[in-house]
Amino acid sequence: MKLKGEMSMLNVLHVQELDLEKLCAELEQKRDEAPQFFMKSPIIVDCADLGDAAEQLDFSLLRQKLLELGFIPVGIRNNPVEMNARLVDAGWAIMRESRPSTASTEVSGDVSAETNQQAEVAQQDEPQAAPQVAPVGIKSLTIDRPVRSGQQVYAADADMTVLAQTSAGSEIMADGSIHVYGPLRGRVLAGARGNEQARIFCQSLQAELIAIAGRYQLLDESDTELKGKPAMIRLDGEKLIIEPLAH
Amino acid sequence: MSKVIVVTSGKGGVGKTTSSAAFAAGLAAKGHKTAVIDFDVGLRNLDLIMGVERRVVYDFVNVINGEATLKQALIKDKRVDNLYILPASQTRDKDALSKEGVESVINELKKEFDFIVCDSPAGIEKGAFMALYFADEAIIVTNPEVSSVRDSDRILGILQSRSKAAEDGKTVKEHLLITRYSPDRVEGGDMLGMDDIVEILSVPLIGVIPESGSVLQASNSGNPVIMDKDSEAGQAYQDVVARFLGEEVPLRFIDVEPKKGFFQKLFG
Repeated sequence: MKLKGEMSMLNVLHVQELDLEKLCAELEQKRDEAPQFFMKSPIIVDCADLGDAAEQLDFSLLRQKLLELGFIPVGIRNNPVEMNARLVDAGWAIMRESRPSTASTEVSGDVSAETNQQAEVAQQDEPQAAPQVAPVGIKSLTIDRPVRSGQQVYAADADMTVLAQTSAGSEIMADGSIHVYGPLRGRVLAGARGNEQARIFCQSLQAELIAIAGRYQLLDESDTELKGKPAMIRLDGEKLIIEPLAH
Repeated sequence: MSKVIVVTSGKGGVGKTTSSAAFAAGLAAKGHKTAVIDFDVGLRNLDLIMGVERRVVYDFVNVINGEATLKQALIKDKRVDNLYILPASQTRDKDALSKEGVESVINELKKEFDFIVCDSPAGIEKGAFMALYFADEAIIVTNPEVSSVRDSDRILGILQSRSKAAEDGKTVKEHLLITRYSPDRVEGGDMLGMDDIVEILSVPLIGVIPESGSVLQASNSGNPVIMDKDSEAGQAYQDVVARFLGEEVPLRFIDVEPKKGFFQKLFG
């Protein structure tokens, strides 16, 4: 066997209030925007916004609720250090060194200590969470080789441009729009996290499945005359519209 | 600089071992010192097709486990100089192939051989993965039918994402080899055409081997089909080797009867 440390893309849930019912309701709504994407996806809970108030949150219950919603809760970060043992008992992994509780700091030193802490946290955040900060559509992922059957490519918080073909049995996903300049033959999912403005552009539409913001359609079931032709796909309400790309 | 070439396909029964044997024999016949390794541990076939099954003493797994030296396990072909065969073990399974073990065998072969041809098993499991992991170039064997083409596409994806070259940020050079091609049946619409396959896979074509009885005959008699200079398949494999070595050779045996008759007169 092999055990390796690797970076992976994970969703981070920033908890900003203590009302679990409300939180779960909001999360459920979010999930339903892109159920395929979120179903059984690992998730991290970030308590930075709660500060010491995190103490009052029932993390066993939160874990249970997340599981019920179809997420796989993985770990917690930025929780008060005093909670570590309790969280581990509740089945959580501690993802990042916890903040020392501000309560024990002297009042005079409080402000500067807090600022330093914040700066440090922000810095640590960068490699992992930079995509969350960048506005959607600013970043772009360019693929210059064919996406083959069985391969899956995901552009997190970014648009995707594929210069080669995508094969039947492949899957490309982006949180933004997707452009494909070779034949588009596999599955294609734009606005994977619910961006309804996302679009799909392609030179030769032969996809198996098209989806924007969770609304999907098999191409064989749509009565488009644009199969094999340049096309643009956008979302109009709940309906996917396939239009000619060239005028 | 020696080169490692994997012959792979994803799907079984498309002609990987036949092609490995023919290709390796062809390279050797052109004067390049060539070793061909059977990665199909547990279902060894290469030795049969090469006609050396009764000369196997030690195998690939013995060498990996340090139970035999490479010299002891390599079988020298009696027909072609420069050609050596490293047979698979019939009594083990694919788990016997460790990455480190395979790497050390390939590195040792590289010191002595110009070309190392890795005959991959079918599937996308460990044996196939090990066969392609150290490859510099790949020959993707495809039959003119949709499931074979789909599986080739899948293996191409693995090749470019999980091979050592891919991990090092390089690419594995790809060649498409279409086997069991029958121009008549393509014309009749029963088979995918050559152009369609190339379009679906978008990989440069290195050759088309026509469906031919001589392939089966050659396999059963333990002679690589490339040595049958009268057969169309044998000639097509010779073209493949020539193209691989950088020669410009036009495709043959890809059109239906009238032209085929012409070629038959010319070469038959």
